[in-house]
Amino acid sequence: MALDYDPSIIGKVFEETDPVAVSAQEIKDFCAAVGETNPWYTDEAAARKGPYGEVVAPPMFALTFRNGRHFFQNIPHFGKGGFDAGRDVEFVKPVRAGDQITLVSHVKEIYEKTGRSGAMYFVTVRSTVKNQNKEVVAHIDHRFMGRL
Amino acid sequence: MSGKEVKTLENIQIGDNIGPQPLFLAKDSVRAYCNAAGLAGVPRFTDDELARKEGLPGMITPGNMSAALIGKLVTDWAQPANGRLVRIGTTYRSPVLPEHNLSLQGFVTQVDHSEHTAEVDIWIENEDGDRLVTATATVKFEPKA
Repeated sequence: MALDYDPSIIGKVFEETDPVAVSAQEIKDFCAAVGETNPWYTDEAAARKGPYGEVVAPPMFALTFRNGRHFFQNIPHFGKGGFDAGRDVEFVKPVRAGDQITLVSHVKEIYEKTGRSGAMYFVTVRSTVKNQNKEVVAHIDHRFMGRL
Repeated sequence: MSGKEVKTLENIQIGDNIGPQPLFLAKDSVRAYCNAAGLAGVPRFTDDELARKEGLPGMITPGNMSAALIGKLVTDWAQPANGRLVRIGTTYRSPVLPEHNLSLQGFVTQVDHSEHTAEVDIWIENEDGDRLVTATATVKFEPKA
């Protein structure tokens, strides 16, 4: 059974989020939750000597910005149960406390593959993460998969 | 090399170990991550009973938390040599269950002295040696200020 979807959704932006403010407390909470002790992310004096010149969020903090889910509406089979398959992230600029973050998301690709466990489909949603200066902070590819 | 720390890019060689580092995720630690990452309202990550109703064995660790821990292992390893994480690709192969004896580990797969980069493979492994989450990452090393 082929995946039922409208191919015109590929490449089209399906969501641009409202800006989300990043607070210093959120970055601290994230650091605490993953046991972060790296001085570039936790220590002002040490961070000044590092590549960013000040405390920034750990790179993986970028994954806490949620991509939209509206593309589900256009991929009926996906709505019947898919799995989160992974993330590919390119880090362009660090996130700092006080940033206003926006995600612009589109379906990058959809494909099918048959493996040992049967026919599967794969959906990649690309979110471009930007700050208040319209600078790209990161590109995040959210990969999902499901059974056909 | 133990893989615990690298002092300069010149010290890094293909095959150098990163970790292993023991990883035990208490359920409350997973819930703390969910609170910090905006996932507190997702029952499969916070509540055993509700997760079982979804067909899972119990609450599971968010994929993004596993990815964050893998990223942290890379940045912990690279930071002493002024290495920045510039790319990571993670694959969630099997659910990571809290309160198991896991390990985080990996090794260097490529070193490019002209580009000042290293490629690494990292994964989370369970007690049976199954790789639950795998990743490849690129680290860019900058001259120290």
